Amino acid sequence: MTMDENTRNEPDEEREGPQAPPPEPEGPQAPGPEAPTEQLGRAPRKRRLVRSRSERVIGGVCGGLGRYFDVDPVIFRIAAVALALLGGTGVLLYLAALLLVPADDGTAAAAAPGEGRNRALVIAAVVLLLLVGWPFLLGGGLLAAGIFFPLAILVGAGVLVWWLVSGEGPSGDVGDVAKRAALGLGVLILCGLLAIAAAWAAAAGGDTVVAVIVIMAGVAVVAGAFLKPVRWLILPAVVIGLAAGTVSAAGFDLDGGVGERSYRPASTTDLRERYELGIGELVLDLRDTDLPSGDVPVEIDLGMGSARVLVPDDVCVATTAEVGMGEVRVLGHSNEGIDVDYEEAASAAGDVTRLVLDANVGIGELRVSDRPWDGFDEHGFDFGPRDRFDEPFGDEPEGNLACDNVGETSSG
Amino acid sequence: MGRRPELASLVAGLAIVALGAVLLLASTDVIELSFGVFAPVACAATGAILLARGLTRHE
Repeated sequence: MTMDENTRNEPDEEREGPQAPPPEPEGPQAPGPEAPTEQLGRAPRKRRLVRSRSERVIGGVCGGLGRYFDVDPVIFRIAAVALALLGGTGVLLYLAALLLVPADDGTAAAAAPGEGRNRALVIAAVVLLLLVGWPFLLGGGLLAAGIFFPLAILVGAGVLVWWLVSGEGPSGDVGDVAKRAALGLGVLILCGLLAIAAAWAAAAGGDTVVAVIVIMAGVAVVAGAFLKPVRWLILPAVVIGLAAGTVSAAGFDLDGGVGERSYRPASTTDLRERYELGIGELVLDLRDTDLPSGDVPVEIDLGMGSARVLVPDDVCVATTAEVGMGEVRVLGHSNEGIDVDYEEAASAAGDVTRLVLDANVGIGELRVSDRPWDGFDEHGFDFGPRDRFDEPFGDEPEGNLACDNVGETSSG
Repeated sequence: MGRRPELASLVAGLAIVALGAVLLLASTDVIELSFGVFAPVACAATGAILLARGLTRHE
C-alpha cells in the first residue's frame, strides 16, 4: 500500500500541514521511512458523518447517523418521525441535515466494532432528548415552522421538480442541492407563469388556439422521437394542456371582466336577465326590489369567485346551478365538490314571486340567502373584511319557506 | 436504415397530442368537458409520460 493510498482520506489540513510526511519514494518496495507508512496503513480511517447511499429511505440522513454512531438507523428514523409530529421540528432538522451533511462519496468508514460509541448510551440519549425536549421542541417547532416551513417547502419543491425534470436527485454536497433547488424553483415559476398565461388565453376565448398549440407541440415531440429529441418541449406542452383543460372543465371565461360587482335593483325594470363576471365577487341584492308575482328569471354566469344573491323572505327560489369546482348553498341547502349540478325545482302559489335562478359558476361558490351575512352593510355595499364572508349564515332557515313544494335533486 | 424512435419522446408526444385533441373537441363543443372527464385524461397522459420516461431511463 502506498503512502498516497494511506492518506487519501485524511483532511487536507492534515496532509498539507507542516507535519505532512515527505513524498514516498517511487516503487512499492522502495526503502526509506517505511515504518510510519506501515503504521498509517493500520490506522483506522477517520469517520465522517455522511448521508448513506446504501441505507437511504429519503436522503440517507438517518442511515448515515446510524452508521456514524454504529446504531440501527431505525432508531433515528423513529426519532425523526416523532420530532416531525411534534411541531415539525423533525422535518426541519432533516432538511437541514439534507443540505449540510455531505453525501457518501465512498470514502467514509463505518465504525469499527468496539470502536463506536456505546450503542445503549446513544439510544438512551435519543430517548432522553425526546422525553425532556419535546415540549420545547413543540413550541420551538411551531415557531420555526411558521418561519422556515414555507422556505423548506420551496426548497423541497425545487429539488423535487428538478429531480423530475432532469433525473438528478437530492444527492451531492450542499452546493449541488442548493443549485438543483434553485433550478427546480426556476422551472416551477416558469411553469406557473405559463399555466397562468394558457389559462388566461383559454378563458378569454382562445381555447381553440391553445388546443392547436398543444397538438402541434405533441406532433413536434413525436417527430423529434424519430429525428432529434426535443424533450424540453414536453413539460411546457403538458403544463399548457393541463391549464387549458382545467379552465375548460370548470367552464369559466373572462366575459364580464374582473373585480367586484354589486347590484341592488329597485324594480324589475332595473333587474337584468343576466349578470356576468369573469373573476371576482358578484352580489345581487333583491331584498328591496319590487318584484312582481309569478316567475322572475335571473341568470348568473361567474367564471371564478363568489356569487351571492340576497332575496326577500317571501320569495320562492327555484335554482338550477352548475359549479365546476366549489359549493352551492341555497337557503340552507348545500352541495359541494367537483362538477356540482344543483337543481331545486320549487313551485309557488300564483300570488307569490318565484325567482327562477339559473347559475353557472366555474370555480367558486354560489350562495342564496334571505338575510344578510355578517359584514354586509345595509346602507351600502361596504362588505367589510373579506374573511367575514366566509362565516356561516347564522340562523338561516332550512329550506325555502315561501315555496309550496320543493323538489330537490342535486349531485356533485 | 431508419433510426429507432426514442420511446419516451414518442409516448410523450402521443400523450400530448391526445390531450390537445380532447381540448380541441371541447373547444368546438363536440364534447362537454367536465372535471370527471378531464381528470382521468390528464392523469393518464401524465402517467404515460412518466412511465415511458422511467422505463427508458433504466433500459
